[in-house]
Amino acid sequence: MEIPYIVTPRKDTGLFNSKIAIWLFLASEVMLFGGFFSAYVFLRLGADYPWPERTLPVLPGLINTFILIGSSVTVVFAWASLKMRQWRKFQFFMGITIACAAIFMVLKGLEYNVKFHHQAVRLNDYTVIEGHLGYEMEDGKEVLNHHGQKIEENQIQVETSGLTFNIVRFHKPWVEELLSQAEHRKSKIVLAADVSAITDEGKPAETLAKAGEPLSVELLSRLQESHLDARSHNGAVRTAELRKEWVEAKKNNPGKRGWEVSSGVNIDADTIAPHVLTEIGTVAFKVDPPAMFDFKPRDIQEGATQSRLRDDTLVDGKMLASPMGLHYVDAIDFRHLAMKAVEKGQDPMVAVENSWLIKNHPFAKDAWEWNKGQVAKIEKELLERHGVDEKTGKAKYEPTAKERYRIGWKEFVAMADEVDRDREEIAIKEEFMGPDYHGREAKHTFPHLELPREQIRFASKFTPAWNTYYAIYFTITGLHGLHVIGGALVLCYYLFFGRKMYDTNPEWLANRVEIGGLFWHFVDLVWIFAFPIFYLM
Amino acid sequence: MADTPEAIRKSLRLYGLIGLVLFAGTIATVLVATVPALDVGGHGFDAADCVLGLLIATTKATLVAAIFMHLNHEKKAIYWIFGAGGVFVAALYLLTALAKKDPIFDPLFYGQESKTEPFLASPTLR
Repeated sequence: MEIPYIVTPRKDTGLFNSKIAIWLFLASEVMLFGGFFSAYVFLRLGADYPWPERTLPVLPGLINTFILIGSSVTVVFAWASLKMRQWRKFQFFMGITIACAAIFMVLKGLEYNVKFHHQAVRLNDYTVIEGHLGYEMEDGKEVLNHHGQKIEENQIQVETSGLTFNIVRFHKPWVEELLSQAEHRKSKIVLAADVSAITDEGKPAETLAKAGEPLSVELLSRLQESHLDARSHNGAVRTAELRKEWVEAKKNNPGKRGWEVSSGVNIDADTIAPHVLTEIGTVAFKVDPPAMFDFKPRDIQEGATQSRLRDDTLVDGKMLASPMGLHYVDAIDFRHLAMKAVEKGQDPMVAVENSWLIKNHPFAKDAWEWNKGQVAKIEKELLERHGVDEKTGKAKYEPTAKERYRIGWKEFVAMADEVDRDREEIAIKEEFMGPDYHGREAKHTFPHLELPREQIRFASKFTPAWNTYYAIYFTITGLHGLHVIGGALVLCYYLFFGRKMYDTNPEWLANRVEIGGLFWHFVDLVWIFAFPIFYLM
Repeated sequence: MADTPEAIRKSLRLYGLIGLVLFAGTIATVLVATVPALDVGGHGFDAADCVLGLLIATTKATLVAAIFMHLNHEKKAIYWIFGAGGVFVAALYLLTALAKKDPIFDPLFYGQESKTEPFLASPTLR
């Protein structure tokens, strides 16, 4: 069957069909991304914390913008080459376009990776500290978990004497992790008491597991199976009994409606008791001897004597100090603290100087004092350049909140190099990937801090969990990245499988490439707005 | 839209030129945002920087749409389709703007003193 209007335009629209289709699709895309950008505006205007403006490294964003613009030019050249029936040139330009897409995604991946390994902590007084977590050490060596991965120095430590698993919700990898940790600490996790259950109707209870039996996923799975069978059986027993009650109630109350007799319809627990099997909701284990276990903060709701994991496992034992070890602190941000102080009618500078960090860490105090000196220089410079506002009698322009209250990694470098801010020497690689922590270690540029758990209000990597800025950043750039991948796949298809069509119907292929190109330009269009909004504003 | 091989050959120069303008526009945006001497409006990022940045971005986007996507001489049907999308986006932004009027954003709504305004108004915390 011949598909109509793929080369020649329709008389009514003046367009070939796929062009109408792609523009309808692009209009829907405009609305989709428009919605997300509108959400960005909404989140920024409504943010109850200082919006992290100009927080992303500009260089990766700039390179990616160049790459996308370049690919937009090459895709239009590829289309033009097809129109002029120059297959080789088409291959060349389309190849460059696809290579650009690949480079764009690699750079985006690198950028995301840096974010996913960068830690942020908000203290109780709203001081924000950024840096990198250290790793748990033992006898000078890094401790590895059962997957052979290093353990970040951000664990909740519990001197565990007992564990109670929810038999339905227990999470297999966590059980394996607990077993691995117990083995490492030379401790055993064993069943605290016999687990007995009626597994067959009318038969006495049988012992499913004996006290002292070691914890294993197989044991929990076996008990889970028994529990689920019993629950299913008991459900059926209750339903049958309820049905019987209904039939009887209807028979005893002829002519009455269901809701009128419903109050008298109840299951008699004693009647069904002989038919009910034992449901094992939870199983308790003891840790013998009690041992210290590490838990990721996001997995545990810690308590002084009993904590609860996200899979409802209860951890009995005393929570230990569990400080967070931040190695290479690369930013201290007092903007949120200052904002809260202003809200309370307090002097933000006084609030900063009374903050926990300044009072407890000499390095932070030194950095703050250094930054105050730098801010004073900016104030002087602004006064000299712009003068005084006649109405207020104050300086026309003042340093920004970011300059005043945030000591970023470049400021740490300037401080260590004993130069003024913006005079520090930053390598291109650092502009792209962030500071060279090891290279700058000799000058102790980035301090190490130990943060007591009770001082931490919230901690997260730079992921959507950290704040709404990163949530919308990852949403828009992630969705855009998916469009880049999708578009590149379509263009790949034209490049690698288009030759046959070129030989038989080159105009059709040119129209297809035009459609793919239109989508590609749209991807570029979105980035043209995303770049300044996320990287420069 | 250039459709004949001859017309397309002539357009290639324009496409290259537009590419260069887009590169230049990107550099201009970055310079305005990062070089203090080119900072417009007050010191640091403010509404003037925002307007200028978006103005450059919009100009770049218009060039891409008009020249690369051939919207400068397209058929009526496409203008209608694209225009409809634009109208809905504008409506979304209008909703966002109206949300600022929503009483749930006003602490007075909850019987509290308005606390956020002094912070936003404070030049030192801008």
